[in-house]
Amino acid sequence: MKKNTMTKIITLTLAAVMALGLAGCGGGNSASEGGDITVISREEGSGTRDAFVELTGVMADDIDRTVDTAEISNSTSVVTQSVVGNEAAIGYISMGSMTEDVKALKIEGAEATTENVKNGTYALQRPFNIVTKGELDELPQDFIDFIMSSDGQAIVEEEGYIAVGEGAASYESKGLTGTITLAGSTSVSPVMEVLADEYKKVNEGVTVEIQQTGSGAGIQSTIEGVCDIGMASRALEDDELSQGVESLEIALDGISVIVNNANPVEDITMEQIMQIFIGEIISWTELQ
Amino acid sequence: MRSHSERVMKAVFLLTACVSIIAVILICVFLFASGIPAIKEIGLTDFLFGMSWKPGQGMYGIFPMIVGSIYVTAGAIIIGVPIGLLCAVFMARYCPNKLYKVLKPAVDLLAGIPSIVYGFFGLMVIVPMVQQNFGGSGKSLLTSAILLGIMILPTIINVSESNIRAVPEHYYEGSLALGATRERSIFKAVLPAAKMGILAGIILGIGRAIGETMAVVMVCGNQAVMPAGVTSGVRTLTANIVLEMGYASGLHRDALIATAVVLFVFILLINLSFTALKRRTD
Repeated sequence: MKKNTMTKIITLTLAAVMALGLAGCGGGNSASEGGDITVISREEGSGTRDAFVELTGVMADDIDRTVDTAEISNSTSVVTQSVVGNEAAIGYISMGSMTEDVKALKIEGAEATTENVKNGTYALQRPFNIVTKGELDELPQDFIDFIMSSDGQAIVEEEGYIAVGEGAASYESKGLTGTITLAGSTSVSPVMEVLADEYKKVNEGVTVEIQQTGSGAGIQSTIEGVCDIGMASRALEDDELSQGVESLEIALDGISVIVNNANPVEDITMEQIMQIFIGEIISWTELQ
Repeated sequence: MRSHSERVMKAVFLLTACVSIIAVILICVFLFASGIPAIKEIGLTDFLFGMSWKPGQGMYGIFPMIVGSIYVTAGAIIIGVPIGLLCAVFMARYCPNKLYKVLKPAVDLLAGIPSIVYGFFGLMVIVPMVQQNFGGSGKSLLTSAILLGIMILPTIINVSESNIRAVPEHYYEGSLALGATRERSIFKAVLPAAKMGILAGIILGIGRAIGETMAVVMVCGNQAVMPAGVTSGVRTLTANIVLEMGYASGLHRDALIATAVVLFVFILLINLSFTALKRRTD
């Protein structure tokens, strides 16, 4: 009998594989057929998620009501790729990270463009902040001056975000040397890296270290004095402000609500976004 | 002079040996020192058998993640073991030399691919495939099981192959001499003799599957709820840690470390059974 055990195990597993394959055979699922919505969200604590749930009203009474069955992705690129691969998906990403592969929905009739963020008609927008504690050293202050100068703000615009400091003066190098450490939001980091590269071109003796740790961790590091400048893709909370940090808005970013290119839906209201993300609307047909 | 330099080298060897032991001890101390108080604060049953994970509301139940990890690993074994085992049989007994020269490096290469690359492959290829053929969003238990099934193949193939090769040739020849066919001789004489070694390979595969993080987190959907079927999403213990570690603080952070403690205990059990099995074979 013992000799047969191995063959039995093999036969059983093979049968199980087949059964699994057969059992799973179901129909496809797409928005045009009125399929169920696949909700894609970010992990808890992501600056984009914090801003999104607050702006849309998914967060009520300090409780994040995002539906349990929402897929959770831990980066912008995974959200985009998931929406590309799934006709019934809806997700949200930073406007600066938009690609042609997905479609951004109009919100309350306003298209997701930088102009609409600037004039306020596109409501899903958030500030990019830098966070500092107390009196800064000369070098970090010079870097902040560079970011807020007309040169720095031009870079912000080039990267697809919305500049805030209009009519600022241009930047002049003071020839400082040393190291600046930044930590925080993964959404702010891409534009900060470009800013740092440009800053290093005009200040050759300077090293800029950027750590992508997430908004919350970045603010915490600034409070603890581990980094010179923190980066946050949301407004600071009261208990953070009470620990002696100050924030400065360096740019505005819209949050694009994205769907698959094959999705017929074009327009959506804030109310509907909220209902989708808390699980009250579960089918695309309910939107049409 | 010679004895002096020998003594010095002996100390160096001892030191290097100690490094790995110290590392293991430090990891244990760190894990349990931060994890155990968190489990105490949450409550052991609430932590291990709690059904909802909502750190924002102070709910830290990891039962869906434990179940998710077990399901995904079991799925990977169901998919990976038959393929890996049969592949090992082919490589050890049937494969022509020319093909072997291609096949063996290919399997080794499979083992060397970084898991993040597996993850992207899963996201771009397996997710749409599962979505079209089985419905759902494509990020599911099934997808993770298929991807992990592929990832554990090299472990299972390599260990099984060397164990099949280690079976004395006269088992095979004796079986042939008794009138059995080639297949029968392999499956009924050679494989049973290599059984323990093959099981060891499978256990190593389980270890790899349950500890895999970066690839799984991209294709499993990460919903922290009990999976409703093979096409619904799951969150594994490893995914839970890597998703939220970046920003977690206070009890939330300690709860994630406690999740790592649970994972550590799982791996410990797997390694212990591996050692026990090895002792039995020896």
